[in-house]
Amino acid sequence: MRAALPRVGVVTLTALAVFLPLGLIFYQSLLNLPFFMPNKTVGVGAFQFVFADSDFWDSLRNSLVIATAMAVIAVPLGAILAFLMVRTDLPGRRWIEPVLLIPVFVSPMVLAFGYVVATGPVGFYSVWAKQLFGSVPWNVYSLTSIAIIAGLTHVPHVYLYSSSALKSLGSDVEEAARMAGSSPFQVARDVSLPMVMPSLLFSGVLVFFLGFEIFGLALVLGDPEGHLVLATYLYKLTNKLGIPSYHLMAAVAVCIVAMTFPLVMLQRVLLKNAGKYVTVKGKAGRQRPLPLGRWRWVATAIVALWLFLTVVVPLTGITLRAFVTQWGEGVRLSEVWTLHHFREVFNQPTLVRGIVNTVLLGVVGGAVAVMCYTAIGLATHRKNDGWSRFVDYLVLVPRAVPGLLAGLAFLWVFLFFPPLQPLRATIVSLWVAYTVVWLAYGMRLVSSSLLQVGPELEEAARSAGATQSQVSRHVTLPLIRYGLLASWLLVFMIFEREYSTGVYLLGPGTEVIGSLLVSLWSTGGADMVAALSVINVVLVGIGLAIALRFGVKLHD
Amino acid sequence: MKTFRRALLASLAVLALAPAPSQAQVPAGYPANYADTIAAAKKEGKIVIYSTTDTVSATPLINDFKTLYPGISVEYNDMNSTEVYNRFISEHAAGGGSADVLWSSSMDLQVKLVNDGMAMAYASPEIASVPKWAVWKNEAFGTTYEPISIVYNKRLLSGDEIPQSHEDMLRVFAQHADKLKGKVTTYDIEKSGVGFMLITQDSKYNPKFWDFVRALGTVGPRFQSSSGTMMERISSGENLMGFNIFMSYAALRAKKDPGIGIVNPKDYTLVMSRVMFASKTAKNPNAAKLWVDYILSQRGQTIIANQAELGSIRADVTGSMTEAGLSKTLGASLKPIPVGPELLEYLDQTKRLAFIKQWTQAIKGGK
Repeated sequence: MRAALPRVGVVTLTALAVFLPLGLIFYQSLLNLPFFMPNKTVGVGAFQFVFADSDFWDSLRNSLVIATAMAVIAVPLGAILAFLMVRTDLPGRRWIEPVLLIPVFVSPMVLAFGYVVATGPVGFYSVWAKQLFGSVPWNVYSLTSIAIIAGLTHVPHVYLYSSSALKSLGSDVEEAARMAGSSPFQVARDVSLPMVMPSLLFSGVLVFFLGFEIFGLALVLGDPEGHLVLATYLYKLTNKLGIPSYHLMAAVAVCIVAMTFPLVMLQRVLLKNAGKYVTVKGKAGRQRPLPLGRWRWVATAIVALWLFLTVVVPLTGITLRAFVTQWGEGVRLSEVWTLHHFREVFNQPTLVRGIVNTVLLGVVGGAVAVMCYTAIGLATHRKNDGWSRFVDYLVLVPRAVPGLLAGLAFLWVFLFFPPLQPLRATIVSLWVAYTVVWLAYGMRLVSSSLLQVGPELEEAARSAGATQSQVSRHVTLPLIRYGLLASWLLVFMIFEREYSTGVYLLGPGTEVIGSLLVSLWSTGGADMVAALSVINVVLVGIGLAIALRFGVKLHD
Repeated sequence: MKTFRRALLASLAVLALAPAPSQAQVPAGYPANYADTIAAAKKEGKIVIYSTTDTVSATPLINDFKTLYPGISVEYNDMNSTEVYNRFISEHAAGGGSADVLWSSSMDLQVKLVNDGMAMAYASPEIASVPKWAVWKNEAFGTTYEPISIVYNKRLLSGDEIPQSHEDMLRVFAQHADKLKGKVTTYDIEKSGVGFMLITQDSKYNPKFWDFVRALGTVGPRFQSSSGTMMERISSGENLMGFNIFMSYAALRAKKDPGIGIVNPKDYTLVMSRVMFASKTAKNPNAAKLWVDYILSQRGQTIIANQAELGSIRADVTGSMTEAGLSKTLGASLKPIPVGPELLEYLDQTKRLAFIKQWTQAIKGGK
């Protein structure tokens, strides 16, 4: 059992990183003052306050509405997109795929701000619509719009899971249906999609769960009409009492976790069952794209419309805003072009530091994070014992905690745990928070690579007398190195995009674009928000381009 | 190795101190022992500031301070007002390093920190030149003079659609209800501490305050969490007018954006002042004193008024954004919010929530 020591170390460290902040949140929720104040007392006052606050119930209802609407919109649309992309001869599939995934990698703050500028009451597109129809036929600040936008931007999540399930199906049943006279859409509805039902169900639960975490979209779009969701309610509590009310925020966080944790567990069960269902698939391997025939243009229109609404509208909006001094009703865009905002960004040391930190965090931090994920992966690789099952659940826990709160908890950990204090004002604190928040995602990437290594290779090494660590170093790791590189790239993009985790950790030295966007948005630096958003999109774009250049699979 | 390092440090110290005799003299009118403070501050070598004033506005001040006292580096951190407060109290509790000077537009939170005994008592030599309302207990100092204005979109509003006072807003809301529907903006008082403080001041000065709130309710106001988001919306025409907006921000934006119009209400114009204090537990207490004195000095205030565009509280500083300049046009209607314990009133949880409730109901009642 010599090799067990590093293993126990890795597991213990992970458990600490996960439970310490979570424990702090629970503890804080049961106090009446910040936990570091000497005159605090224990009680359930925070919960009483929250449950008596009508805003809480409003935000809970809105969260439920949005989460449900997201599942209702994203699942069918994502399924249809997956069917069109994977099973049919839709033109331009090769270049559509990366574009499809853009909403996953662009910060919702950026998207939301783009929607305000593009489709707000006097947005670029709204003004054009007004010229066409006489009035603006939509209200982007309504709860309905927020729900629709949230639904549309989460289509890729459904797409990812259903497309990988669809890929493993044979074509024979579809062809049979087509031969019997079904239209391609009937094939999708009655044959292909029912066969991947478990994956659809899983992604439905996933999207519903993500609905509870919506923060940026609701923060930007919900403000003017006062639509709150749970995460923005939590953010609002920062100021409601004039002085920060950590206990109230912690109480809301506990309520959120109480709802999301069962959903995370449900996802786990569904994901396990998803594989079982595929036993009814036809002869695998023999796949031929289904000819769409005259339905081709309908299919193209669906994809194009979705792309236009979800990618083109917000991104053109934000880009346009970044290059003008002012906008809106009565402004002639040709007269207000400027590069001033970008010059301003590069003149502000904080923002420059933010950009540098964001890149560092993505490139270096991403690499180190993948190393950590790999260490955890190796610690449980091919060992089906109590430790591994523990880690299995452990990595899912942070998934249930909204990034906003995880960031706050990590701030506390770094402030009040003396050995860590010197690291607080450095980007390391952010890195730890990011790595833990994205633990589940990273682990999935790494373990899918690990599972591709045939057990016989490792066994061969072991029977030749190699120790556990030698097997890992000389056999397993070299075999998964390309998988790890791909994981690094995906983690890079996720780290570039992340915004809520850094909000409370934001300080001198820990600036990143994501949290700067939230902070600048709330202090009203719209010019800077637009310019930084564009820079952020460019960074993510570079990551995406590299991924495509090297043929990284963007999903399994 | 050790001697080498010591020699290196010594030569660095000489470098840092070299220009000192020519530059860092005791300012005119200061006590002679101020030279000791300067010397001690140089030994400290730096100052850490947490502030809500953005770095761009503060840069001219920082640069001038460094010219005045070479050898003292300024670690300037801008963040929002809640963050200033949170960061300071948690760092204070954790016992690690924190700011030497706190400078925030959230007057009430600053006064609370001072009231909780976090500030260093310091009889700045500049106190005599600063208005009485801006100094509390020789601990908290108001540093800027920022009128709170009505801002409107010049392209879309004209003539009698532009209110001239708080009372006039009632008339405008009634006469132009259709045009203004959903297009009047102000702070969300639940999300913005500053917005809350301003509206409670309104409730003191406006004799028809609750009528005003109900009238506001009838036009379906849009609440935002910051001046900046309000201004963005007014500039674009999404909203047509907003009130309780810092004139300093609006004036800065109006320079680049010809669509922004500003009115200082004739019945009363609130004036807020960014409150500064030096921390009792400052690691660099002497540098902190120099900074406070510098900000209150004529030299510092001239930059505050003319480069940082925040408005000077000193009578001997001239310019359009100073007490002296504004008094000419607005006279007695200027109502500075005094730095003092009255600001603590609404930090009481019950009182605050009761006010928010009354406000929400009045807004709804107006619809």
